[in-house]
Amino acid sequence: MATNPLDAGKSTEQLLAERAKRLQDAMELKQPDRIPINMPAGYLLAEYGGVTHLELQDNWETQQTLLEKLALEFEPDAILGLYNSPRPSLALGDRMTIWPGYGLPESGSFQFVEHEFMKAEDYDAFLRDPSDWTIRTYLPRAFRELEGLKYLPPLGMFAFGHYNLGNLPMLAAPPVAASVQALGKAIEAAVADAARTGESVRRMMALGFPPPPLAGSLIEAPFDFMSDTLRGMRGIMLDMLRRPEKLLAAERIVLDFQLEFALNFAKTTGLKVAFIPLHRGSDGFMSLPQFEKFYWPQLKEMMVTLVNNGITPVVFYEGVWNQRLQYLTELPRGKTVGWFQASDIFKVKEVVGDTMCIMGGMKNSLLQSGTVEEVRAFTRKLCEVVGKGGGFIMCTGVGEMEGSKLENVRAWVDATREFGVY
Amino acid sequence: MSEQLINAIAEMDEEGALALTRELLAAGTAPTAILDACRSAMEVVGKRFECGEYFIPELILAGEMLKGISAEVKPYLAAGQADVKKLGKVVIGTVKGDIHDIGKDIVVFMLDVNGFEVYDLGIDVPPQVFVNKIQETRAPIVALSGFLTLSFDSMKQTVEAIRAAGLRDKVKIMVGGGTVDEQVCRYAGADAFGPDAMAAVILAKGWIGVN
Repeated sequence: MATNPLDAGKSTEQLLAERAKRLQDAMELKQPDRIPINMPAGYLLAEYGGVTHLELQDNWETQQTLLEKLALEFEPDAILGLYNSPRPSLALGDRMTIWPGYGLPESGSFQFVEHEFMKAEDYDAFLRDPSDWTIRTYLPRAFRELEGLKYLPPLGMFAFGHYNLGNLPMLAAPPVAASVQALGKAIEAAVADAARTGESVRRMMALGFPPPPLAGSLIEAPFDFMSDTLRGMRGIMLDMLRRPEKLLAAERIVLDFQLEFALNFAKTTGLKVAFIPLHRGSDGFMSLPQFEKFYWPQLKEMMVTLVNNGITPVVFYEGVWNQRLQYLTELPRGKTVGWFQASDIFKVKEVVGDTMCIMGGMKNSLLQSGTVEEVRAFTRKLCEVVGKGGGFIMCTGVGEMEGSKLENVRAWVDATREFGVY
Repeated sequence: MSEQLINAIAEMDEEGALALTRELLAAGTAPTAILDACRSAMEVVGKRFECGEYFIPELILAGEMLKGISAEVKPYLAAGQADVKKLGKVVIGTVKGDIHDIGKDIVVFMLDVNGFEVYDLGIDVPPQVFVNKIQETRAPIVALSGFLTLSFDSMKQTVEAIRAAGLRDKVKIMVGGGTVDEQVCRYAGADAFGPDAMAAVILAKGWIGVN
């Protein structure tokens, strides 16, 4: 039973339907009955429940119970717990992530550690045969438990059909066998995680909360894909100047297979969203001419193809995009969602308010260290300016609410319901 | 020829810059003259970064060229010859719990090309490590970097540790990075927030009284 005055007396079925429609309308750039609220709670759940980040991460029932309790207390339209789990990573000895309790103190926060897993001299092999290079060269570098895969024969040998079967004993070599075994464990862990995610979604829906607006496949802008898990920031920045043609050719490859993946994902799961967190395209990393050559055309093609296939790109514009908002107006109208971290949100509304649904607005720093009055006043301004005419989902700028004061969260959701009614 | 070297670096002509360096050295040019040319070139790069013509790719490549040239010059250099007078000392690091270094590295680069002696403590730096470095170097400026929201509290703890060590009135503290803003500056008890690397240079120069 809802406790806020706008929803008092409604059944959970009604609440679920209304919240889902509110979010959907906003995503389609329409004006819902009122501004929907998305709460990416993250580690706030640990503070809320008085448990360590490790316990939150490793004890699924604790996490789920806290998620439900927080949702029922603040009644957002959608809520998110932790994004990912360490279990498959730990099974594989993942070298690019560190977790509370695993590489970090018990109340540390998950972090991604960039490496140059792909060296500059790997481009030719990658371009010649990206899948073979990925399995025999990349995986052994990026995952400690997959080192044995470097002993595999060229994967093309499998196309030798019957005649290649005589080579199968190579797969029984101890390092290869150990890698295959680790992969099996990681698959088990990932399947268990997926089952828990499904269970969480069912329990939240039973309480009247629809899945958050970014539930779908996870893909990246082609430039970011090459940067984040392959070349690293330093490598990719040098590539733009030292080997631009190779970088562009590689981007083409990762664009194509990511699109194939996202389209298949939507077909098999029915989730018509692709979440695309952007990392290196924001103001400050590269110049506009570089952006026009290496970042935007590939990202735009990705988004347009998704839209043409009935998939909504939900794009996290990390950092500040103030200098390049104009490009975003080239996107199909009402078909994408932009979650803005630190851009001037009022300028965002002005420039792309007619193009896409805007998500974000609330500053994490304000929820953490502002006063209730400041939070209320800023929320009101967001509702009145960014919420104007619809197409706005109230959310924090960062997808993580760690450190937020609960009285500020209370002021934030209450003010959104007070000033966000159309 | 020094002018040519400055241009090659400033225009991002990596091969040209290295080739010119070798020619200059072979022709008997003083190694210090080559290093002076590098400094002039880095000033040009820094200026182009300030005015928004150059970005991170150019800063990184400039750094690479400098490394390459230094390696060529080193055998010709007598000990101590490369020393230059610096404007002032800055202690900088990404605060405890946070391992992000991109923003910090840009600030380090810009402070360096603008004549500061920068002590870079790296990432995930505990408050006490900042305190120790300030005591050791007597640097009047401290820069705290953070990308994650958890850095807000780490910054506050670092400022408190500096205060507890009796150093708070001896240093000016700036904060910046990812999710950091004015609000965080007040929360942490720092002196100023800078939205980008140039702001860091301007703040630092203002604090030591140069333009």
